[in-house]
Amino acid sequence: MSDDRESLIEVVISAFRPRDPRGRLSSHPGWHDLSPDDRELVFDETELQRRLEAAMDPDGLSSTAQAVLDRITGGDR
Amino acid sequence: MTDLDAHLPSIVSGDPRAFAAWLAGAEGAVRASLRSFARVVDTEAVLQEALLRTWQVAPRVQPDGRPNALLRMALRIARNAAIDEVRRARQDPTAIEALEAALHREEGPAQPIPVDPMLRERIEACRSALPRQPGRALAARLEARGGIDDRALAEALQMQLNTFLKNVGRARRLLAECLSSAGVILGGS
Repeated sequence: MSDDRESLIEVVISAFRPRDPRGRLSSHPGWHDLSPDDRELVFDETELQRRLEAAMDPDGLSSTAQAVLDRITGGDR
Repeated sequence: MTDLDAHLPSIVSGDPRAFAAWLAGAEGAVRASLRSFARVVDTEAVLQEALLRTWQVAPRVQPDGRPNALLRMALRIARNAAIDEVRRARQDPTAIEALEAALHREEGPAQPIPVDPMLRERIEACRSALPRQPGRALAARLEARGGIDDRALAEALQMQLNTFLKNVGRARRLLAECLSSAGVILGGS
């Protein structure tokens, strides 16, 4: 796997998503640069990663769940 | 089957801790329901918006005697959000029809995905064995709670973005290898 492709996949696996002007989450800019096959790979790797994160967290929360909760409670950064 | 609606009364009364407990059981099932969309929409963004919307509409959920009414609503919200996103991206209408047909074929009973409590100990053992830089990068990702982009995380660790991403990827691979050697297989849903 090339370095650029590997980095692109890795950055999209993150739960961070930018906001649009209305405050809604937008697609990750890097996601648009992925091939359809790599988008499926990112889906699978993200699913695995979130399961690991949830298993490591005392409350069983992945970074996706934490990001949503932080928006609900106003604790987002 | 686990019925996550046990948390529903507290969620309706506005308790985020109850919603956190619901999320811990529901996220995997809602994410898995978006698999058919993975090639055409950024499912992570769709999922987070759908989960937020689920919190907002929870007071309107009418229990129907079957378990997991809120989870079933979340699945519908996520699917509709994904279809809206496909339309917004002006995808081919026949692609949307094909996706909807695939979703109907895949629909089954809404099942929460349980977390194995023994897994945490094994993961922590593997995590503590990570080399320093991959361990730091992974810790930064986890502490960010999905709220900080990787460029800022890399800067805070005084790493180049590419180096940071390589370290995160290396940490993930080493964790998977370590867990595999301990007999833990983390397959798909």
